[in-house]
Amino acid sequence: MTHPRRALSLLVAATLCLPAAPAQAQFGGLGGIFDKAQKAKKVGDSMREIGPEEEIKIGSDLAGMILGAAPLVDDPAEQHYVNRLGMWLAQHTDRPDLPWKFGIIDTEDVNAFSTPGGYVLISRGLFERVRNESELAGVLAHEIAHVVQKHHLHALQNEMRTSAVADAGGSMVASGGVTGFLTEQVIKAGKTLYTRGLDKGDEYEADRMGVVIAARSGYSPYGLVGVLQTLSAEQAEKGMALMMKTHPNPTDRIERLDKAMGTKLDGLMPVADDLPSFVALRNPAPPPEIKATSAKTRAVKRTLSKAKPRHK
Amino acid sequence: MRFASAAIGALALCIAAFPAAAESGAVIRADELKATPFIDAATSAKLAANQPVNIVSRKGGWVQVEVNGQTGWVRMLNVRLATASSPAQGQANVRAASLLRTNSSGKTVTTGIKGLGEEDLQNASPDPLQVSELATLAVSADEASANAHASGLVEQQVEFVDEKGKPIAKPKAKKK
Repeated sequence: MTHPRRALSLLVAATLCLPAAPAQAQFGGLGGIFDKAQKAKKVGDSMREIGPEEEIKIGSDLAGMILGAAPLVDDPAEQHYVNRLGMWLAQHTDRPDLPWKFGIIDTEDVNAFSTPGGYVLISRGLFERVRNESELAGVLAHEIAHVVQKHHLHALQNEMRTSAVADAGGSMVASGGVTGFLTEQVIKAGKTLYTRGLDKGDEYEADRMGVVIAARSGYSPYGLVGVLQTLSAEQAEKGMALMMKTHPNPTDRIERLDKAMGTKLDGLMPVADDLPSFVALRNPAPPPEIKATSAKTRAVKRTLSKAKPRHK
Repeated sequence: MRFASAAIGALALCIAAFPAAAESGAVIRADELKATPFIDAATSAKLAANQPVNIVSRKGGWVQVEVNGQTGWVRMLNVRLATASSPAQGQANVRAASLLRTNSSGKTVTTGIKGLGEEDLQNASPDPLQVSELATLAVSADEASANAHASGLVEQQVEFVDEKGKPIAKPKAKKK
């Protein structure tokens, strides 16, 4: 039982020492002070390099936060589809072995999220707006790039480094234990981060990587551009508010992608814009008629099943 | 119920009137209308900047447009879509259609508008059960690869690029 306790005291030491470290380091070499500074530096370093297990735990906490606001869509076929596509895309990055998980979440809003360790969530509003599979691939690949580059993990560490000390005492006692304390801190920092957004530079980088990941996987690299065009056209709409607040302007993103892509990716052959399986997924065959229905009802049903594509 | 059926009726009419791909936009800069979606294709017309176009379809980095009764292709990056406030009936169509929800049995149901705004996220209570549910959806790399190959997807060798388009092995993770 000494281990958790040691971990706890180390954490307390870490949070207490951290802000003091840079100042004290200036007076380094004076016995105890030097010692303290070294220790803090070490903890600081260890905070910089969060291991994969902890990264996944943090990502799981943050995914739970987003899912608490919008749960998974109850459609096993669609969920399975995005997992197969997402996992395929992830195989074309430097982190193919993360436990990647993909989900469509039940909100009309247009948005997509990723959290550290391989969690990717796309809103139903955005899923329904993509014109074809290459656009869906573009969105997922952009989110995958955030995970691969640890954009949220690094931003979260920054956020927690500044807020952890103030909250350390109370929260830790209240929630009883290191794990509870960390989860609470992660969620708190996560709410700030996911409503404020990443640095713009991280978003542009995820766009540039996203088109390449999609292209490597056999899709048109222009899927993401198509999605950004949709966002650009509909940016003033209500369902876009959080996405617009947390991301650079879509027109700006298109211009930057244009500069980076040029015509370099135009020669790739063959590339897929869409797949029959995706078309079928979104246009399921109407269910067999069980009860006798009036001709009028059948006509309405036929019209609605034609309406299903939701393509523009 | 009456309202619902009236809404569905209106929706059905709306969809019938504006078939899929009713998007409009404009050419960003002076460009050429190409006969086919290739850079070396024959030019069928010259387009001035801000020329309005109707978008018919998309293929790779190209969009097929209809302009003054003529149909041809322009690069996707040279077109911007009309915004929601300007006339673009296709978007109203999509918004109306997004009210419809088809569940896994293929039955179409209507749902209310569920948003996910800043406040929803701020007030969210973490849901570990949903995280467990998400974990059950994961597939193996083998399954994903087998499926992709069966679908005919062809992998490509493509390097990442920096802001200016210079190829790079991998963007460096930013130091914080």
